[in-house]
Amino acid sequence: MLADFQQAMADLTASPRLCNDARRDPGLMARHYTLSPMEARRLQAMVEHPGMACACIVYRANRLAPLALNLRATCAALGPALRPLADAYWAEYPEGNVHFYIESARFCDFVADALAQGAELPEGVAAALAVDRARVRAALAESRLEARRAATGA
Amino acid sequence: MHPSVTAPAPSPAAAAQPRARPAVGLLYNPASPDVIAHAGSLVESLSVMPDRLWFDFGPAAAPGQRFHRALGALDEIARLARGRQLAAHGIGLSLPSDLPLDKDFVTAIDGLQQALGGFGWFSEHLSVFLTPRGSVPNAQAGLGLPIAYDDEVFTLVAGKLRRLRERLGCRQLLENGAFFTPLPEAPMSEPAFLNRLHAQGLAGTLLDLHNLYVSERHGGPRMADYLAELDPDAVEEIHLAGGDDFAGFYMDSHSGFTPEPVWEIAFEHLPRFRRLRALTFEFQETYYPAMGAAGVARELERMHRLAECCGTAAPMAIAARSAQAAPTPTARSPRPEPEAHHAG
Repeated sequence: MLADFQQAMADLTASPRLCNDARRDPGLMARHYTLSPMEARRLQAMVEHPGMACACIVYRANRLAPLALNLRATCAALGPALRPLADAYWAEYPEGNVHFYIESARFCDFVADALAQGAELPEGVAAALAVDRARVRAALAESRLEARRAATGA
Repeated sequence: MHPSVTAPAPSPAAAAQPRARPAVGLLYNPASPDVIAHAGSLVESLSVMPDRLWFDFGPAAAPGQRFHRALGALDEIARLARGRQLAAHGIGLSLPSDLPLDKDFVTAIDGLQQALGGFGWFSEHLSVFLTPRGSVPNAQAGLGLPIAYDDEVFTLVAGKLRRLRERLGCRQLLENGAFFTPLPEAPMSEPAFLNRLHAQGLAGTLLDLHNLYVSERHGGPRMADYLAELDPDAVEEIHLAGGDDFAGFYMDSHSGFTPEPVWEIAFEHLPRFRRLRALTFEFQETYYPAMGAAGVARELERMHRLAECCGTAAPMAIAARSAQAAPTPTARSPRPEPEAHHAG
């Protein structure tokens, strides 16, 4: 069915691991989604196409954009640790929120939780996160005020 | 030097229409005011993305509190749009997704239209951005996913376009996507799908030539083949943009100027397009410092030369294509004032 087919496409794009699993096991997608035989063949052709890697790259670039824009200090402090942390974050939240401050705030919470649970992250992450998190929260609150101004004409 | 144009000729009705030169303009971004400050006479039209003019708190927000407008940007656009053609270019409706039409989103677009004095037309993407089983109602898939061009998707898109037109009142266009993974076994090609939408009076085509180039680079249809199949009368707007290579792939990153193969195909085929309203250049504002106002102005000047040959039915001579040929629009008589913005 169409909804499952579209969701399966999105899930593949968000997960290079799922792409690899589907390449190794051609029946995988049909077991996890309600697909017509043609839809299953289309998905299989997608994962085996060389451009699938590009789709995964673009997905990751687009997910990274709000974090790179709004959490520069945190990303810099994380350094090479950003990649596995972002992977874990995107696995838990495979869909981005269109509101960049909400998306950024959610990643801040995720990093803060990781720190609280004793994750070994580079020195300086906690301090950078505190600054970025406060800034994002302020921006998020500011974005809520815009409608009020619009409503009052102020 | 140039392959012959093999596409069917425009319909007699379209051929009888007086040729109108399309406007040249920009997809609005935060760098647009600077471009206009430096080369305002080259910018005849603006296309604005509603999704970038508000903060969307999602369908779960309290009634009337979902969309919070970025008022500074709205004021700026209202100022810059005076005397220019204005259109809207959406990304958030995701019409081919197997989801109901987002009525609140449409109402918000209409609100923007009223605030800005009306849109000449409204365009959306022929791609899946929203996922049907997303855990967050306004979550995005992360990129535009390809669609299967079949009757099921056509019916879905057609129904939403009808409701959209009832609400917005203005002309609607759909844009071809940049796809990295073509979907096999489609009953229709993408041009056939767009032709059918046009033939049924549901939507015109926003032809993104750079998207076409990206798709071709990733194993999609050859640009010339695609354009030979596309009804030239369906095409009402052209997007031009640049990209870059990354990790062995060519990206639709809007990181620079239109590549030469895209210019070649544009000068080759746009003479057949008699119903074009606008040629629009897209760039990502973070690349603007490297591109510079002078660079963007040169791109716009070349677009004006392209606009001159639209609808002439004969490819423009090679000499006239080059950056040195033909006077720039700044040296010509001023273009008549664009028609007033309207919602209908």
